[in-house]
Amino acid sequence: MRGLREGALPAGLRQTAANRPGQAQPVPTRDIPSRPWVRIGTFVFFAVTLLTAAWEWNARANLGLRAGDIDDSPQAWAEQRRLADAAPVAIVGDSRILFDTDLDRFQQLTGIRPIQTAIVGTNARALLETYANDPNFHGLLILGLADLSYFRPKGVGIGGPYLKNFSKADKPSQLTGMWIDRWLQRHLAFMDSDYRLSQWAPRFDHGMRAKTYGPYENVWKISEVFDGRQYFMWDRIETDPYLQGHARHAWNVFKGPPLPPFIARNVVARSAEAVRRIRARGGDVIFIRPPSAPELRSIEDKRLPRSLGWDQLLATAKAKGIHADDLPQAQNLVIPEWSHLSRKCATVFTDAYVRRLSELTPRLKLRTDAPPPLSRADCVQQNIASAN
Amino acid sequence: MIFNSLTFLIFFAIVMALHYAPFFSWHQKKINLMIASYLFYAAWNPPFVILLWVSTVVDWWAAQWMVRAKREHTRKLWMLTSVIVNLGMLGYFKYGGFLMDNFVSIAGSLGIIYHPPGWDIILPVGISFYTFATLSYTLDVYLRRSKPAGSFLNYALFVTFFPHLVAGPIMRPTELVPQFDEPRQAKANQIFFGLALLTLGLFQKVVLADGFLAPVVEAVYDAQGQLPGMLDSWVATLAFAGQIFCDFAGYSTSAIGVALCLGFAMPDNFRFPYGAVGFSDFWRRWHITLSSWLRDYLYIPLGGNRHGQARTYAALMGTMLLGGLWHGANWTFVVWGGLHGLYLSIERWLRGRFKGFTPGRASILGLALLTFVLVNITWVFFRAKTFAGAGLVLKGMAGMQEKPDPLIAAGPMIIAMVIVSAIFGTHLTMRNTTLEAVIERTPSVALAGIWTMLLFAVIVEQGQGSAFIYFAF
Repeated sequence: MRGLREGALPAGLRQTAANRPGQAQPVPTRDIPSRPWVRIGTFVFFAVTLLTAAWEWNARANLGLRAGDIDDSPQAWAEQRRLADAAPVAIVGDSRILFDTDLDRFQQLTGIRPIQTAIVGTNARALLETYANDPNFHGLLILGLADLSYFRPKGVGIGGPYLKNFSKADKPSQLTGMWIDRWLQRHLAFMDSDYRLSQWAPRFDHGMRAKTYGPYENVWKISEVFDGRQYFMWDRIETDPYLQGHARHAWNVFKGPPLPPFIARNVVARSAEAVRRIRARGGDVIFIRPPSAPELRSIEDKRLPRSLGWDQLLATAKAKGIHADDLPQAQNLVIPEWSHLSRKCATVFTDAYVRRLSELTPRLKLRTDAPPPLSRADCVQQNIASAN
Repeated sequence: MIFNSLTFLIFFAIVMALHYAPFFSWHQKKINLMIASYLFYAAWNPPFVILLWVSTVVDWWAAQWMVRAKREHTRKLWMLTSVIVNLGMLGYFKYGGFLMDNFVSIAGSLGIIYHPPGWDIILPVGISFYTFATLSYTLDVYLRRSKPAGSFLNYALFVTFFPHLVAGPIMRPTELVPQFDEPRQAKANQIFFGLALLTLGLFQKVVLADGFLAPVVEAVYDAQGQLPGMLDSWVATLAFAGQIFCDFAGYSTSAIGVALCLGFAMPDNFRFPYGAVGFSDFWRRWHITLSSWLRDYLYIPLGGNRHGQARTYAALMGTMLLGGLWHGANWTFVVWGGLHGLYLSIERWLRGRFKGFTPGRASILGLALLTFVLVNITWVFFRAKTFAGAGLVLKGMAGMQEKPDPLIAAGPMIIAMVIVSAIFGTHLTMRNTTLEAVIERTPSVALAGIWTMLLFAVIVEQGQGSAFIYFAF
């Protein structure tokens, strides 16, 4: 057949267009090296199948990964963001409200399943502004914030590309890719972006070069993600001392000098304007500040005291808010890596803040058949028991 | 759709099944391939299929009317119609914003304040590639290098054939259209070799370029407000040299493998370019289908080397500047092209000055190293988004940063340098041979082991489906 040749050509005879200036280029020749390709390919198929099966076993048995833990992605976020336009309740924020909200519990209590559009490592103010700029959103926006993420001097953070590529995320190739990926992740545990080859291979570097932000400084896997972008803490963070210690180490990123007051003033002013615009369309915004462990809280308070951040934000935006400090049921919950609640305590915290929300806004009402309130004992004892 | 996506795997399996189904005629199989190619393209942004259609139809008729024309003037008119339509679309979508920005800047410098309406145009994927491919059709017919395609279906399939559609190799009609004349069915060993090439291409893209090299590059080139020192600047630039090669050569290798599985031959696009000795050698090895396109349709028509030294240097420089601009609507790309033009001109001058010089082994190694280093300096302008960013990295490379910030951690740096050294070493040792020749000499057991490891690495890396860098060109 023209263009295909059995057996490798000597190098000198393998001409390219570079050797033929100023003329019509002929049909190129592709030479097929004389090797038993069918036998080689068959061997490769079985060998790769075997290796992949072994890798899957390793992922489940040694790494503690589970099938059904589906990665989050810009496409998955965009899918929820599009749903949020018509939703009565949507959530924005950073990883804390993402981990600390149990969507099932929310629905059991109110009959409404909120749309989760918070993004890890992201400035929630940028997300708030996307809702403020969206004429289609008229619902209740629950904004969960971690002070140092919300009042960051500049930058959107991890969610930057999510926002930038939002309009491209519904292209056919993006959607089919997401559906196939999800289907595979429901059946294969090893498909976890935190355990990609290039993610774990450099982890031998535990800070070999001073002052650089290396693999050990990165946040490794701390969550599991389920349908509807339901995040929960990965149970190995609750039980594995090494991973727990590493996760705590990663929050060194929060250390630093006190934030200059002008930054807080700027963030507060922009937030107030965004809230005003959402309200002008008939929507509303309520702020939530989930808990953090004392070890982290002391850093947060030193850099931005509540009086300069949270209190100013609510006062200027004339908005209602729920601070974890003010929720009796949210005290002394289990925060294994100091920043996010354990899986069971996330349900307790959700129960507490949703009940308070129903008192703050007529947009959310407790169902008559809502389950009874949860308390700290519902998660702390279970956590202790599971740890034992 | 991109090769390193799960969607493509399913798409490709369906295309293969239809291509090898016994109940379709060859004519029907070509129609199937064309429909598949349109779906492949539409998966990004369905409306842009219209551009493909416009390009296809205009060039088909331009060539038809060109051969029917009795007068030279009419032939030229049809050729110009094709050039204007194709370059017009390319100019509007790719360079419109760039031209407007420059116009505003020039007007501003003359004291005229002009605020144009926002230029929010999405760049159609691969427009630079298929524009050049279709242009070569009408230009070849105009230059009487080839006859028009015998059938519209063959020509339309040439334009849209999905393996080369969005990122090359930039094929000429004379390379592909004749292959559609006869039924193409690859033999089993050809299909398996094609799959091996596809695996190699995906490994280069998913594991090396995206997995290990891109983060090292980004740590320096995307650092905000930090000053890279000598080590970081060189490591990041070398890593980018590896990344851009693995990204683009990975795409070309995948495309060649995919086409081979369907029974089609596509041309080489890379020949171990980092083993080049000198810049004319580099451009015979790097993006061969683009460099030869620019040579045949720009450099030679500009006069080439037929009109004296000065004209030759001007043609060389003009070709490389436009070649730079082809890569992106930014002056940094023009400088990248300009630097290559300068290198080529200096090399040409030196060759004339030292005609009798025959380098020995040590000289070849030294010159290859020098070529690689100088190519790396051009990559700074290719990767940096602004001249300020390029300046920072160049200052770092020269060791002139007063208080540099360490930016790349040791682990990723070591891995990146091992990969780049391996790429450079491979290119140097294989510069006078071909991949196929080396494979033929390699024991089957070793080939099976290597192929297994490459495919397993691709699976374990679970590529995130990031687009190939050259898609943006």
